Amino acid sequence: MIITLAFASLVRHRARTALAILGVAVSSAMLLDMVMLSSGMRESFRGLLLSQGFQLRIAPKGTLPFDTEATIRDADSLVALIRARPGVQAVSPVLGGQLHFPLGSGAVTAAALGVEPAVQGDYELVAGRNPTSANEIVANDALLRALGRTVGDTVRAAAGYDAQLRALSGERVLRVVGRVRFIYLALEQRAAALPIGTLRAMSGPELESRASVAMVRLRSGVDVERERAELERLLPRVTVISTTKALEQVDERLSYFRQLAVILGAVSLVVGFLLVTTLVTVSVNERIGEIAVMRAIGVRRWRIVAQIVLEAAAIMLVAAPLGLALGLVTARYLNSILARFPGLPERIDFFLFQPSAAWTALGLLAACGVLAGVYPSWRGASLPIATTMRQEAVG
Amino acid sequence: MSATVEVVDLVREYRMGDETVQALKGVSFAVQKSEYVAIVGPSGCGKSTLLNLVGVIDKPTSGQVSIAGERVDSLSDSRATEFRLRRIGFVFQRFYLMQALTARENVELPLAEAGLAGAERRDRALELLEYVGLRKRERHRPSQLSGGEQQRVAIARALANRPALLLADEPTGELDARTGAEMIALFERLNADGTTIVVVTHDEELARAARRVIHMRDGLIVGDERAR
Amino acid sequence: MIFRTILLLLVVALHASSAQEGATRVIALRGRPQGSPRSIAIDSRLAADAALRVGDRVVIAAAPGEPGDTVVVAGVVQRRADPAEIARGEYRIRLHLGQLQALLGYGDRVDRFAVGTRSPAATTDAVARINATAFGFRAHRSADVAVETSKTFAVVSRFHRAIGVITIVASAIFLLCIMLLKVDERRRDVAALRLMGISAPTIVRSVVLEASAIAVLGSLVGVGVGLTASWIVNRHYQGVYRTPLRFSLVTGDIVLLAVALSLVLGIAAGWVAAMRLVRTPPLALFGR
Repeated sequence: MIITLAFASLVRHRARTALAILGVAVSSAMLLDMVMLSSGMRESFRGLLLSQGFQLRIAPKGTLPFDTEATIRDADSLVALIRARPGVQAVSPVLGGQLHFPLGSGAVTAAALGVEPAVQGDYELVAGRNPTSANEIVANDALLRALGRTVGDTVRAAAGYDAQLRALSGERVLRVVGRVRFIYLALEQRAAALPIGTLRAMSGPELESRASVAMVRLRSGVDVERERAELERLLPRVTVISTTKALEQVDERLSYFRQLAVILGAVSLVVGFLLVTTLVTVSVNERIGEIAVMRAIGVRRWRIVAQIVLEAAAIMLVAAPLGLALGLVTARYLNSILARFPGLPERIDFFLFQPSAAWTALGLLAACGVLAGVYPSWRGASLPIATTMRQEAVG
Repeated sequence: MSATVEVVDLVREYRMGDETVQALKGVSFAVQKSEYVAIVGPSGCGKSTLLNLVGVIDKPTSGQVSIAGERVDSLSDSRATEFRLRRIGFVFQRFYLMQALTARENVELPLAEAGLAGAERRDRALELLEYVGLRKRERHRPSQLSGGEQQRVAIARALANRPALLLADEPTGELDARTGAEMIALFERLNADGTTIVVVTHDEELARAARRVIHMRDGLIVGDERAR
Repeated sequence: MIFRTILLLLVVALHASSAQEGATRVIALRGRPQGSPRSIAIDSRLAADAALRVGDRVVIAAAPGEPGDTVVVAGVVQRRADPAEIARGEYRIRLHLGQLQALLGYGDRVDRFAVGTRSPAATTDAVARINATAFGFRAHRSADVAVETSKTFAVVSRFHRAIGVITIVASAIFLLCIMLLKVDERRRDVAALRLMGISAPTIVRSVVLEASAIAVLGSLVGVGVGLTASWIVNRHYQGVYRTPLRFSLVTGDIVLLAVALSLVLGIAAGWVAAMRLVRTPPLALFGR
């Protein structure tokens, strides 16, 4: 009976119901987007960091990986020391730099990563193979396109550019053996990877035995934080960052988006709440006489409240899938804007859809909707019966 | 046996701004089981106020009301609601049917509230509609029914939970003369079947049909005569 | 590489020390008088965190544990309101070029020159001549560099604009919904007026007038709320990032746009709601 009354009431005012559904759908879409934004980056970044299974990253003291141009001195002995630890499965040292590829009268410059191909975790092979000898290189599509080269071709590359002599230094001829996708670089960023020894040799004596960062994969069951603390104790001239710590750093630097998400999410909730409150209040005011009669014939107050709250809940229920669809579309659009951040890794999403996010948003909105409906309906059901009926009869 | 309705020294005052209006100034009377009582009087004499107090949809300023031996003048809201559901049937001048429900669903409403299961509820509602001659109109909504038909549905609704007392406030007020006459006949049949009825009315025909007429003026009972 | 941004400052900053482990450190109060020490300027962040004041003597070195130079803090510099520096937590010091070159073993090298010209025409001329004759380095207009380095903020700006558009669309829907509900509440009053003989245009005018009044009042309140929120945002983020940068700017244009939009939306919503009501026959409005 309550369901019948609630449904009938909604159908009676189609335009109003439709607009309310639309309003709540927009509210829930915004709320969903903000919930996705508040956790999306973090989860996306976590996924990125753990995609190759490396739980720890070692950088020069006081820096984040690749945050500065600083490098770790005596990196080889450091890597050997770490590899000797029983809890460590693999260590991937990485040296960051630049390579210049002469082309015509100029040169194409690209980011260069010196890696140990057997253990590297910086790129995924799309075609070809990993470098197995010193004079082999892999590159991404952006670089290969710029050079007009493909897998199997040779390229001339130089590590240094001397401004005084306008000359390239550390030049070598390298064979392109693989086409790759770099995990931590932006899609459009030209980049190549080659054996770390080759990059060091090309870069000159100042980078001998140096690395920008070392990534560490631990054996399963090893306590990550304990190992991190132990490594930091053993290696005072570096900073050891776990995924958790890295995420904290990211959170801090990108806290703006989280705060924006919280504020806009709160605004969406408040507006949704106001909308439902207004709808219920108007609905109750219109039916005040009907409510008084129901009370007069013995219908209990809570049942009347339940009927009205059910109307609000029905609007939420219909608006929810609409809001979900709208939210996903909007999130995709907003994500496409933010994906244009210069240097942002291709795989980072600011808006990451997680079912838990959808449930959170829906749950919040549903709770709000119910709360918004309870008070005005309780007030309406608590009015003095005789007076209300008399007023309604006269009105 | 105690009277179905006992009213003792009932007073009802309203505050209207700075003024206090005494709608009832101390009314006492009793209605026995199966009596058919009409309360008449000019507009503003307090008859509807009296009916509301007897119907437990309002509370007196002072005085006592008992229905079927139970004091009802100071019940809590939930107890009063329960009482109205099970012991009193109310018929209003403007019918006050739920526009969104069919005739049958309107009659089912108090039955559902009383906890009757679906099939039993439906059967009882149809039985009542049959009694008031509207079985064939069970699926019609109020907007599809005439004034008289709506009032008959309202009467069926009022009888749903077999109340001890049927109260009617100007039940023929919105009906034409012919339909009004049909309503009077229905009330007579109800009373003949044992229902205790108290009506408030301006309708002389309806008052004449009652067995007892209580006259009111200025918040007081000024006459109480047995018609036949 | 992920978190890198390009620096614009002329000042030789700590990041010029490439191929160095860690960053150039400033060590407080380990003074070694060497004749009359040279002076440096430190940024206000460093001054606050290391409790340094003008006149303090410090030793600066290229790496921890290395001997360095004793210098005197001659000044404390307030950070510029540079968006590129917001998320960067490093400290900065300014010192004489020659001293830094010597300290780092840089020799007679710099990262960049900044050239001031007398006029835009002179700038164009200078860029052309430098690029034609320089040994392998290029001259760029500061404005061009600024455009390149503002790409991050261009993205943020676009994002904000998108959020703004979405908010406006959502607000329009909410406004229409609420206006419809509120006007609908008065259906009986409207029905009574129509039955009395008041014309539909009069009723529409009255409802639209009411909607306009609400829209004007709402706009004023909204501007007040916006200004307050902007102040709070600036205070908060200036504190968090320790920068004089203004994060939120409420300009006359923005106020005008917001007020115009809300007025138009409010009045339009009121008009739509009123037209719906007057098109319904009066008796239907009474529910008969």
